[in-house]
Amino acid sequence: MSLSPHTTPSGFLLPSIHAAPPFFTQQPNPATQAIVTEQWSRLILSYARHRQLFTVRVEDAEVTGGEWDEILRNDRINRRLRSSHLAYILEQMAAKNQLVYDPPKQSRSALLYWRTPEEWAEVLHEWASTTGQLNTILTFYEIIEPPVPSPLSGIPMQILRKAIHILTKTNRAQIIAVADGEGVRFLPGNAGK
Amino acid sequence: MHRLGGVGLAAFDRQQLSQRSFAELSSELSQAQVDLLHAQLDQFRTALVRFASTHRDSIRRDPNFRHAFQQMCAKIGVDPLAGPRKGGWWAEILNLGDWQYELGVQIVDVCVSTRERNGGLIEMGELVRLVSKLRGVAGGVIAEDDVIRSIKTLKPLGAGYEVIDVGSGKKMVRSVPMQLDEDQAVVLAIANQEGGRVSEQLLVSRKAWMPERAKAALENMLLRDGLCWLDDQDEVNGVAYWVPSAMHWDE
Repeated sequence: MSLSPHTTPSGFLLPSIHAAPPFFTQQPNPATQAIVTEQWSRLILSYARHRQLFTVRVEDAEVTGGEWDEILRNDRINRRLRSSHLAYILEQMAAKNQLVYDPPKQSRSALLYWRTPEEWAEVLHEWASTTGQLNTILTFYEIIEPPVPSPLSGIPMQILRKAIHILTKTNRAQIIAVADGEGVRFLPGNAGK
Repeated sequence: MHRLGGVGLAAFDRQQLSQRSFAELSSELSQAQVDLLHAQLDQFRTALVRFASTHRDSIRRDPNFRHAFQQMCAKIGVDPLAGPRKGGWWAEILNLGDWQYELGVQIVDVCVSTRERNGGLIEMGELVRLVSKLRGVAGGVIAEDDVIRSIKTLKPLGAGYEVIDVGSGKKMVRSVPMQLDEDQAVVLAIANQEGGRVSEQLLVSRKAWMPERAKAALENMLLRDGLCWLDDQDEVNGVAYWVPSAMHWDE
């Protein structure tokens, strides 16, 4: 029996550790668990980036048919991550700012920062710039659901707001009140300002 | 291998000692015979040096050739490992001393970088594979023999590098100064037979251990030594213990 990487139906390459049965058990030895946590964090973030998933819930470990099945279970070895273990991992990730609990003050559901808000700010400004939309007023909705798919498609409102806020600090965005929601105008410039 | 006291070439290399040896011999042999012996050894040594430099590349590249060469040296009492530290001329002819130390450094590298995962215990096959990967194609083929010899040279480091025989031809390399008690050695042997998986029940049925003894050994390895991982979804026994160094990883 050999433990090797495996490519999922969605095209994600699982590392060989994902084929090891004990990887799905919370370890009593703290040093060992630190490695397990580190590996799971990395896995969760890269999978989120691969599938452009923003939200992870503790209950994703319990139910099947969700977006996270390819990662949180391994049916080839009949193992799955327990929700208590996932909750622990999410807690560690929150402490490292790899995700943020959303809505705040609960710990069952979180938004993943597979890009940091600062990175999102740059992606956002870059998109506005290259699509010739600098100096025009855009609603938040138009950014999240653009007619042409963009790196910002489907981005959660909370992350968009954070990214815009970061841009305002370098005078590259202005928040504008519009008739039916929130709007923003992007201005030229770069992060150096 | 013979060193200072023996009658190998190394002994005759040192001026003082060779004088003393001649003095001892002369009481039994005539001077003429001693001169002849000396001349023959000189001739032999020249031939050996020529052989070594001609085949230096083969020695570095081919583990079978290397093994045979080491055997030959052992037979005639020469230590090709006499490195630059000792100022031996073998090192200059062969550069084998450097080669051996370089291998030693690579072994330490692999052991240290896998230590988190396996608790300081790595299966010999995996060590050879990872060291070979580190060396790349240019490094030539490395055999288990080479690793074992190199680990011997690491002994002075005092870091506890040791080769452990766990039975059925399997060897493991320990790189942390931890005393493996006998029970743990048994657990390791079983882990190696079972692709890494051990359980209390397996120890009870195969080794006729009391359950308490099995549990204690496994829990020590798990909690105290970090040598194994827990699996609490085991289909057969509910709980099983996995020894990473005995599992077969395809990187």
